[in-house]
Amino acid sequence: MRNLNFGYGISRPRVINLDNNDLRKSNAIIAEMPELQACIGCGSCTASCTAGNLTDFNFRRLHTAVRRGEYQGAYEEINKCMLCGKCRLVCPRGINTRELIMLIKRKLGDF
Amino acid sequence: MTFFAPFTIPFIIGSLVMFSVLLVKYILWIVRLPRIDKRLILHNIFTTKSLMAVWEIIRESLLHVRIFRINPVLGFMHASLAFGWFLLIVVGWIETIAYIGGEWVPLHGHVFFKYFMPINGITEHIWFFEQLMDALLLIVLMGVGLAWSKRLRSRLMGMRRTTKHILFDRIALTSLWFIFPARLIAESLTAAIYGGDGFLTGSIGTWLSETLPSNILLNLYEPSWWIYSSLLGIFFITLPFSRYMHIITEIPLIFLRRWKLKPTTERKSYDRFEVEACSRCGICIDPCQLQSDLGINDVQSVYFLRDRRYNMLTLKVANNCLMCGRCESKCPVGINLNTLRLNSRAKRRNIPYEGRYRYLRGMDRSSGEGRIGYFAGCMTSLTPGVQRSMESIFRAAGEEVWYADKEGGVCCGRPLMLTGETDAARKMVAYNTDLFRRHNITTLVTSCPICLRVFRESYHLDGIEILHHTEYIYRLIAEHRIDLRDDGRTFAYHDPCELGRGCGIYEEPRKILNHVGHLAEAKHNRRDAMCCGSSLANSVINDAQQLRIAQRMTEELEATGCDTIVTACPLCNKAISRVSTHVPQDVAEVVAKNILN
Repeated sequence: MRNLNFGYGISRPRVINLDNNDLRKSNAIIAEMPELQACIGCGSCTASCTAGNLTDFNFRRLHTAVRRGEYQGAYEEINKCMLCGKCRLVCPRGINTRELIMLIKRKLGDF
Repeated sequence: MTFFAPFTIPFIIGSLVMFSVLLVKYILWIVRLPRIDKRLILHNIFTTKSLMAVWEIIRESLLHVRIFRINPVLGFMHASLAFGWFLLIVVGWIETIAYIGGEWVPLHGHVFFKYFMPINGITEHIWFFEQLMDALLLIVLMGVGLAWSKRLRSRLMGMRRTTKHILFDRIALTSLWFIFPARLIAESLTAAIYGGDGFLTGSIGTWLSETLPSNILLNLYEPSWWIYSSLLGIFFITLPFSRYMHIITEIPLIFLRRWKLKPTTERKSYDRFEVEACSRCGICIDPCQLQSDLGINDVQSVYFLRDRRYNMLTLKVANNCLMCGRCESKCPVGINLNTLRLNSRAKRRNIPYEGRYRYLRGMDRSSGEGRIGYFAGCMTSLTPGVQRSMESIFRAAGEEVWYADKEGGVCCGRPLMLTGETDAARKMVAYNTDLFRRHNITTLVTSCPICLRVFRESYHLDGIEILHHTEYIYRLIAEHRIDLRDDGRTFAYHDPCELGRGCGIYEEPRKILNHVGHLAEAKHNRRDAMCCGSSLANSVINDAQQLRIAQRMTEELEATGCDTIVTACPLCNKAISRVSTHVPQDVAEVVAKNILN
């Protein structure tokens, strides 16, 4: 039965796996910056990103993953950021994205 | 003469403690200076720079000329305390010599001369010195009186707010306040018993001897000198650990500064001289927009320096500063507040991991060919109108231009520096320097004052002239390479912090705007201009707070009744556009629209 394919089905939980993901750091980040919960995922930060223009760095994807407790490779990835601050200027929800980057770095190992 | 009495002991202990602590501190700080700074001292110590320093010490440590410029009453208060006390000491020495000749007299013999002089049977008072010493005491007492009234009503001295002091400073402050009234009482009682001609102590003495019976006078005599000596002792012991450290520390600081030492992005022991030379006068509080617009009361430079000095600086205080430089331009001691703030941030561990910014290797997105390089800057890519305007200006002037970051460039590194990641910023500096060198440019024009400042201060671009676009455009106008039409508009120009106070460029944008129309000045302009609030240096305040600062700043510009608000920084431009009904324009945009050729 398992191998039968009807062309549709229920997809396995792809990303959010609360059995594996430890949300402690994620919760600490949101506790320090509650406004992050106002993010609508519009991607303006990624669209305006200086580093994103030069590499495959994607800030929206990154902070979404971190919020879900997926920290694998996030620290290395976030170090591509040059902190120029354009993402903060374009954020329609007025999230202090530049501080968010530093906050994630602080929580995930740096400093 | 022996010049000893038991009441001098508190004073002797106090002054011994003070001088030994000062000596240890200064020697340690000098010894720990980096070698390059020591070489600077040796190189400059026997030059006219030292004489200039002496002159500056007279002007600033004694007369407080810079504070006079901020507010005459405030200046008089500081000058009467500092210069008055200094003269009391100097004239006191001369007075001793006048009475007893060249004989060696211990320090407390000079300080308490009025006590020792009558006891030792010298009844012949020298009238001139009596009057002079009384006059000086009166001047100092006037300073103390002003200091008292400043605590009650600081607005009298042009200060909306004064510093909130910690307990230790309050102890030192209280002893200082009562030193001179105590001296007045002690000397008056002495005059009441032994006689004196002084117009102040002498008259009070005569009045006392007439009103009080002599046995009471004799009982008050010794205790009054004990009180005076104890207050001096307390003040001297607290001095090296309190705000009054500035009295002495400003002297070595002025010498070191004249010998070309300055703070850098790395902490060093020179910083200690600057930090401890802060008198916590609180002049930096009023200019701070975080204070006046947002009511944040614990992050201003005076509190930042205090926290740093006593090792209680938190990240939040260090990071909560726009670095607009408004306080720095007002600081009467001339402390490099922004640099100290920066290297406090850099103290956090910021060693970038090996592979960081490896993607920069071999990257070159530049386009065009020419001796002139144009670096728009990250922020300018959010205001593409500025970039387009610059292109049309270059075309009109017939300039061959190499565009460094038209197709996406690498950040200048200053945002990283502002957050304390100095090491990481070096990779940007190295990358961009190499890029500019590879394309053999001789002039670098940038539209972003943040980039401009870091190019000038932290890059080594010898042989390449670094210009902000306003400087460049003004040069084109002066050389008649572009002609502009007068479109009759009134412009209000907003001075960006990094361009004005940061790089000292105030006049070029104004001259350009005068070519195109009329210029209206906001209430705060040039060195005094307000910050737009969007500064990258502050990572603590939130969006609503940024907006409020921008609003207050823009209101002043709109109050000029101008047709157009103009600025020269893409970041300020964005901030104004969020709060104003006007559409702010960049100087480059105004020029590009009015080019005739």
